[in-house]
This record gives sequence, structure tokens and C-alpha cells, in this order.
Amino acid sequence: IGTNEWLRIGSTFHSLHAIAAEAAPRRLPGNKNSYGADDGIEEIEAGGLVLRCFQTRTGMKFVITAEPGTPDIDYVLREIYVLYTDCALKDPFYELEMPIRCELFAQGVDALIERVEKAASIGKR
Amino acid sequence: MSKSTSASASGHALWTKMPKANAELFALTYGALVTELVRDYENIPDIHQQLEKIGHSMGVRCVDEFLAKAELAGVSLPPCGKLKDTAEMVAKMGFKMFLGVTADVAHVTDSGFSLLLQENPLSLFCELPEQYAQLKYSNLYCGVVRGALEQVNLKVECTFVKDTLHGDETNEIKVELKEVLQDGAGDDYKEE
Repeated sequence: IGTNEWLRIGSTFHSLHAIAAEAAPRRLPGNKNSYGADDGIEEIEAGGLVLRCFQTRTGMKFVITAEPGTPDIDYVLREIYVLYTDCALKDPFYELEMPIRCELFAQGVDALIERVEKAASIGKR
Repeated sequence: MSKSTSASASGHALWTKMPKANAELFALTYGALVTELVRDYENIPDIHQQLEKIGHSMGVRCVDEFLAKAELAGVSLPPCGKLKDTAEMVAKMGFKMFLGVTADVAHVTDSGFSLLLQENPLSLFCELPEQYAQLKYSNLYCGVVRGALEQVNLKVECTFVKDTLHGDETNEIKVELKEVLQDGAGDDYKEE
């Protein structure tokens, strides 16, 4: 999927996330949830997929899609946040809000996913 | 009282987890940066503005790191109900985590607070010459605080009001809250 597609998907999700808070039957004060971040879509469960969104208090959203029943998605999202702050934010050539093209970040995320998958498969056995 | 001591304890816990750099190298690198700015810009207000701008770019990145690492360390960060809580977080946890020094909070009102820094790691070896005696050497801090708070929707203005390099007994940064920004879908989508 090309960068433009990703940008389109990302911006669609961003808008849906915000509108969901408006359309929700129970509105939280100031539209902020108990964590302090903006209220909005946290999880979408569909036939063959689960989509989880982690919103930081700075308004950044981390979205992950996985197979239903995958454990530790929250942990993965938080780890990715740490990787983002360590690899992407500290890269002097990374501009905020631009697509992330940092080697270190990609390597970190790959390593994290491998680690989690290995742990999950050991757990299953 | 117990809230501020637990903030200090959390700040210390975060500080221990951060990779450390040589304090002298840090101070001297900053000194070199300021010297370059002094060479590039003729007048002092421009230098202040540049330092603040550099600080701002740093601040917007620092706050994400603070929030992420605090999660990881299991430090609980309850949402700040009042500006006083924000001030405590910045002073006891933010400054401690990144610089290793805690700041004190003073003059807290609903629209502002002051950060008091007893020791300033940036100005370790600094002496201001006569023609730059009015230079706010550590104006970077003002930018960092402004940038960091901007990311969490607090628009503030920071100024250095007291500086040990100017002969005062402590460093004081005044932070004034200008407005609280709103995120979200915007007014078009609000129900009537």
C-alpha cells in the first residue's frame, strides 16, 4: 500500500475517531477519557480482525490491526509509543506529522513484533 | 504534601532509567550553541527568540518521551485537574527526568506559575561578558516548556525573570497560561 493510501486511511480514521466521540451515547466531560487523552474509537472488532487504537495525551494515535484473540495488544501499542519517542522523535531529520521513514524505528518495531509473536507461540504450546 | 513527594519520587525513578551524558560535555555543547547564535545574530532579542525556537522544537518531542517512558516505568500520571498539577509535573518530573535537577513551583494561580531552578546544568561554566550582560543564556528552557505544554493543549508564554548569571539568587521562569486549546471534531459536528 503506497504512502498516499496510508495517509488517506490515517486521516479517515482520525476523523472517525473524533466523530465517534460526538456520536457516542454517553459523552465524557471535555471529551477526554479517564486516561486524559481524547475520547474516541478505542477498539473495532470485525469478522477476521481486531483494530485497536491507543491515543496519547499529546493527540498522537497509534493504530494496530491484528487477528482476533491476539494477546497483549495494549503492551505492543505502548512499546511502539516508546520506540516512537526514542527513534523517530530523536531523529533530527524527522519532521513532526510527516510519514516516519526512520530505519531505527522500523527495525525496533520489527524486533518488537517478532518478540511478541515468539512469546505468543510459546504460550500457545 | 504527599502528592508532591510522590511526584519527586516518580521523577527520580524516571531519571534513573534515562541514559546519562557527561554534564560538562552537555554544558559546554550548549555554550558552543549559544556562542554560535551570538555570532550569527547581532542583537540580543533575536538570540533570545532563536533559543526559544530551538527549545520549542525540543519541547514538543520531550513531552511524548516523558509520557511514554512514564507509562513504561509504571509511573502513574493522573490527568492534571488544575494548573498546579501541571506545574508539579513539569517541575518535579519533567525537569528531573531530563536534567536531573528538580525545580520548585511558586506563585501558582489559575493562570500561571513560576518555576524556580536552584542549579542550572546549562550554565555550569558560564560567565556573561559586559556587552552580553543582559543575555538570557538559558532561554532554551522557556521554549522547552512552551513546546511541551503546547502538545497537551495548553498554550503558554514563558519568560525568564530571574537569572543567576545576572546576579539573582535563583533562576525563575514565569509561565503564563494563555488558553486551553480544544481538540476534536470541531464545532461543525457538535449536536445542536
